[in-house]
Amino acid sequence: MTDQTPDRRAELIAAALAQDLTPDERAEFASLRESDPTIDDELMLLGGLPAEVRGLGSWREEQPSDALRDRIDRIADDPSPAEPGQEQDSAGQPTSRSTSIPRRSRTEHPGSVRRTDGARRRLLLTTGAAACVAVGLGLGVALAALQDAPVDGPPGTLGALETVEFVGEPSGVHIAGDVVAHTWGTETVLRADGLPTGGLFAVIVIDEEGREFSSGTLLGSDIAIDCRLNAAVLREDAVAVEIRGNDGTRIATAALAPVDA
Amino acid sequence: MNAQNPGLDVRAAFEAHGSALLGFAVNALRDHGLAEDCVQETFLRAWRSRAHFDPSRGSLRTWLFAIERRVILDVFRARERTPRLVPQSDVAEPAGSGPDVLERLHIVEGLARLSAEHREAVVAIHLTGCSYAEYSATSGVPVATLRTRVFYALRALRTHLDEGDPTDD
Repeated sequence: MTDQTPDRRAELIAAALAQDLTPDERAEFASLRESDPTIDDELMLLGGLPAEVRGLGSWREEQPSDALRDRIDRIADDPSPAEPGQEQDSAGQPTSRSTSIPRRSRTEHPGSVRRTDGARRRLLLTTGAAACVAVGLGLGVALAALQDAPVDGPPGTLGALETVEFVGEPSGVHIAGDVVAHTWGTETVLRADGLPTGGLFAVIVIDEEGREFSSGTLLGSDIAIDCRLNAAVLREDAVAVEIRGNDGTRIATAALAPVDA
Repeated sequence: MNAQNPGLDVRAAFEAHGSALLGFAVNALRDHGLAEDCVQETFLRAWRSRAHFDPSRGSLRTWLFAIERRVILDVFRARERTPRLVPQSDVAEPAGSGPDVLERLHIVEGLARLSAEHREAVVAIHLTGCSYAEYSATSGVPVATLRTRVFYALRALRTHLDEGDPTDD
């Protein structure tokens, strides 16, 4: 075997994969391959990767914004306890309920979520819908566990479940729910039964000035739906939660109790 | 983490892995805002399931990437399930679904998990199409060092791709 350092071996293989060998290096590499058959094994293992990487077309190097750091800080500051063992698997995948992607804070997007870019908002809405329909498929709803919140207190208490009453549902539809105050906004915990299968329903939290904050959407199902959605409005500012049909029709409304200062 | 293990330090985890996680989401979704939402959701899920993280079974970085992979797949699946809500014309670079998308997602994740200097070298040589000499001239790093970085980066990428199917949930 030719006496080559491991790094020289690596160098020549990398150069060969990029077709970057000089004539002298080609000769050196040929000699090395004859004396070290593992090089051909390495070439076979790595040979397809350059084309796979090229297939990506481009790569963006971007850094987290200060706003994202702020949102992560709010998670770190949230006092909510870790969920019980049966709620999520070891990879953080919800098994009996789900969360939608939390929205950006009002400081990032002044005004209501309705003013955000239309395409982006639709993407977020569909994400919430998928999360809910996954629950609706019956992966093991555990309502008792949802109600088993160790944090207690008056409306606005961080991490505490606050039961709310939905009214106005059409015949055959029943919606029950709770809200939870978080540092980053208001979470709505919904249990819905009787929503037409395949229908699309938006969950909206309204603040005292009438501004609307989307929590996401859910898809009707022939079995009970159980899901959690988040809106970027603080519980102390929120006055109502509404469920609306895809055409804007109000399906049910829950008034939220005022939060004492 | 188990009862013997104190809680997840979200801020420290974000400082250590936030940029790599954002790189994964940005390059998978091609939408910075949505990617930041995915990173936030990843840390939210991690925070909620922190009792399950066991460092003896894998690194925090690996665990966070596994969570984010599921968050991103949720976005892809949502696009697939409700196409009427996501007109192709409204999406900058629609990702669709199916094996091609999943394979691409796996490669994107593999690149995102590399160290910054290894990833930059692979991208420059094999994606941008620079020669080693050209990249050396712009980066100031010797050709031999760049070649070695790319070799070990490709090895790491190969290992990642061989570890399993990104849909193995």
